[in-house]
Amino acid sequence: MDLIRHLRFFGAVADARHFGNAARDLGMTQPPLSQGIRRLEQHLGVRLFDRDARGVRITAAGRHLLPAARELLQGADDLVARARDLAVPEQPRVGVAADLDGLVPALFRAPAARGLPVVPTVAGSVELVDLLRDGLIDVAVVRHPGVVDGLTAGPVVVVPMRLERPDGAGAATQGGDLARTNLPVAVPPRHHQPPAHDQLVDALRRAGHSGDVVEARDVGGRQALVAAGAAVGLVPAGPDDEPTPGSPPLRLRVVQPHPSHRRPEIDHDAVAEALGAALAAAAPLAETLGTSQSQTPPAAASPPTVGPPGPRPAT
Amino acid sequence: MRGLTAATDPATRAVVGRLRDTARDAGVTAWVHATRLDGPPGAVGLADDAPVAVASLYKLPLAVAWADLVERGELDPGARVTLPARGRTPGPTGVAMLLDEVDLSGRDAVRLMLAVSDNACGDAVLALVGLDRAHRLLRELGLPGTLVRQGSAAETAAVVRDTAAATPAEALRLLADPDRVVETTQYDPAYASAATAAQLGVVLRVLWSRGGAAHEVVRDAMAHQAWRHRVGSGFPHDDVTLHGKTGTLGRLRHEAAVVRFPHEHPVAVVVLTRAARAERHLPRVDAAIGELARLAVGPLRMPAAGAGVGLLPR
Repeated sequence: MDLIRHLRFFGAVADARHFGNAARDLGMTQPPLSQGIRRLEQHLGVRLFDRDARGVRITAAGRHLLPAARELLQGADDLVARARDLAVPEQPRVGVAADLDGLVPALFRAPAARGLPVVPTVAGSVELVDLLRDGLIDVAVVRHPGVVDGLTAGPVVVVPMRLERPDGAGAATQGGDLARTNLPVAVPPRHHQPPAHDQLVDALRRAGHSGDVVEARDVGGRQALVAAGAAVGLVPAGPDDEPTPGSPPLRLRVVQPHPSHRRPEIDHDAVAEALGAALAAAAPLAETLGTSQSQTPPAAASPPTVGPPGPRPAT
Repeated sequence: MRGLTAATDPATRAVVGRLRDTARDAGVTAWVHATRLDGPPGAVGLADDAPVAVASLYKLPLAVAWADLVERGELDPGARVTLPARGRTPGPTGVAMLLDEVDLSGRDAVRLMLAVSDNACGDAVLALVGLDRAHRLLRELGLPGTLVRQGSAAETAAVVRDTAAATPAEALRLLADPDRVVETTQYDPAYASAATAAQLGVVLRVLWSRGGAAHEVVRDAMAHQAWRHRVGSGFPHDDVTLHGKTGTLGRLRHEAAVVRFPHEHPVAVVVLTRAARAERHLPRVDAAIGELARLAVGPLRMPAAGAGVGLLPR
């Protein structure tokens, strides 16, 4: 017998305490459900329900077995869900750091507009880097600085930010605003990218702000803090915005696996390029300074003087 | 090294997990090795068999080579060394930051090289020992010559060249730019002086096993190291002795040290880090090096039987 299917019957009847209602919940008719329960009872060798004129009551044995049955059903659901996660889609799987706020939709829209539909993931940068290393996503936009050992990272894109105040007077900010702000700054959770977070706090203090921050899990949480007057926000300056002088920028990098670890069916570079172009378009004030493609050092003018070159840095 | 380091007991395995978490929280890649120098063997390691560019840590095996040569009678520790104002390697500390000619003994050059990581003295000691002799001695110890691939002048010249800077100061400024990723061959173990964390542990074990007066000069200089913000920050105890040598270049921050709690076996601990952040002042990373050292040394602490007043602390 199909045990999982019959345990689903068991759970449904236990929930509904009524064969007709349980059958409706399961999207079937009552006779096969009743037969199914009887088959399960025979299979298990115990009676699960008492039926009488007043309805259906679960037996002591049934109550005893119910938790184990639910655990099996949950396990089966988890297995199916995990398999679905592991099934590799043919589209590029793109990760975007959750800390990018309003830039997130634009970044996903750009590859699609170029005929490169992608499977999106939004998460903290550290998590995205782990997913890249595990081969579970193909390209990601992460906050810089962060540890990107074993991956190929593009140049740093520097996105100017503007201060967002409770009264919405973000655009018309003036110099020294950060220093005069007594409110904490609403920021993403530190664990999303600890070194970038620490760098931001240092920069706030450098600008004369207290460096006090409130960590909020997502954009909505940060907007709520700002709206409630509990914090100020720091958001990427849009095309019509004046960046707040002295405010620390958002630094980003497009990161991918080393060429030898990429899925051959995906054009990683095209996706990375689309993401870079999207960043430039969404944050027109963004700057890219200098270029360094990977952890590979520049060619040395003189060869090493001792022994053969050792292995590459641990990655 | 692998066999010695392979964590077999669950406590040690748990420590490795905590080392990883600490490194992640500080935003660094970390290579860690700790080993008991006396008593029953014991070690803790995180990626301690991977070669890493060691920056000024080359001065540590160089000092051991110098002391070995002195004890063999090949070098005179009192021989005078003249460091003219022009031509000596510049640097932020010691003779390297002075203005006028300095005349000192070879062993004092060793002490300044270790206590304040003096670059001028480092290159002077390298000249006394010679690269060939240093490599021969390292080979005799089963260590790779790459540990002392070059001196401070060559390292500085390479960084200036890689960054296309006009001066060493400008090169360091470029390496510290938060808005771009600037690489140098001196981050790469294939080009820089390089060692694994475990190999630096062997260097400390050799140094602590030697009985010569010159080796005592070296150990004593390490006890006078000017900085306690890295490994030392993990052991803020006045009765715990610390012998250390740091190495720093751009995103690299290292220290190799011997930690000794009273009446316990000394433990060598090597923490090598490469920070994600480029800035020159990262107190959080220095403190993380102390935390990594404390975590690695913890499971190796062991009372030394009979280690009372009779045993001289080294």
